[in-house]
Amino acid sequence: MNYYHTLLLCATVALAVWAVMARGLLLSAVMLALVSVAVSLAFFSYGAPWAAVFELSVCAGLITVLFIGAVSLIRREESAKPENRARFHALPLVLAIFAIASWFALPPFFAELSSWIRPGTGGGQIGLALWDLRRPDLLGQVLMLAAGVFVIKSVLPGRTQK
Amino acid sequence: MNQFAIDWYLIALLIFTGLYCMLASRSLVRQLVGLEIVSKGAMLCVISAGAYSNNIVFAQAILITMIVIEVVVVATGLALLVKNFRVNGSADVWQLNGMKG
Repeated sequence: MNYYHTLLLCATVALAVWAVMARGLLLSAVMLALVSVAVSLAFFSYGAPWAAVFELSVCAGLITVLFIGAVSLIRREESAKPENRARFHALPLVLAIFAIASWFALPPFFAELSSWIRPGTGGGQIGLALWDLRRPDLLGQVLMLAAGVFVIKSVLPGRTQK
Repeated sequence: MNQFAIDWYLIALLIFTGLYCMLASRSLVRQLVGLEIVSKGAMLCVISAGAYSNNIVFAQAILITMIVIEVVVVATGLALLVKNFRVNGSADVWQLNGMKG
């Protein structure tokens, strides 16, 4: 049993609960960044350094900056009309009920699932896998980025002088 | 019970937290926070399965694509949020109807 994995995943769940329950949106965005850091450490411990670096730089960095930028635009409005907090305060209780109820069903199912694993050959190097074997993915990424830029450009048109 | 089952059980808790956030809140920001948490759970599933099946390299290649898609989705959602705030003065999901046309 690898306790480091388990501890990291427990920390991820705890930080995610904190991000959901946080009163302020800014604190929620910061907690989300910490969730990304914990997930990145989990990736490192799984032996996936490239994924961990991408997660750390993009999700904990870029997405947090985007969140904080958007939250700072709407923060005054959100504080003027706060949401009903009762549903968020119920999250630990609901999560505990789900955890206890699913403890009897999910781990045996996942243990059964793990017996179906067919061990692979290791896959070689990440560069070979990314540039040679997964080339359509790269084309898809470029198309997704172009589509995202197009959508943002169309949703937020530039101001025109009257 | 093996490590794989424990890991996936904790990942299921993470995904449940994200889904609960998306169901409980009407704020677009919190919807995106919930979506982020669910996508973190999905990424952990991919890497965990790759690690246990000795296919970690392919899992990383897929995960990089997932991260790019996640960034595009979040950036688009936040642009929608800012536009909704400019038009309706609110970050409420139900106010998105006011942006038709």
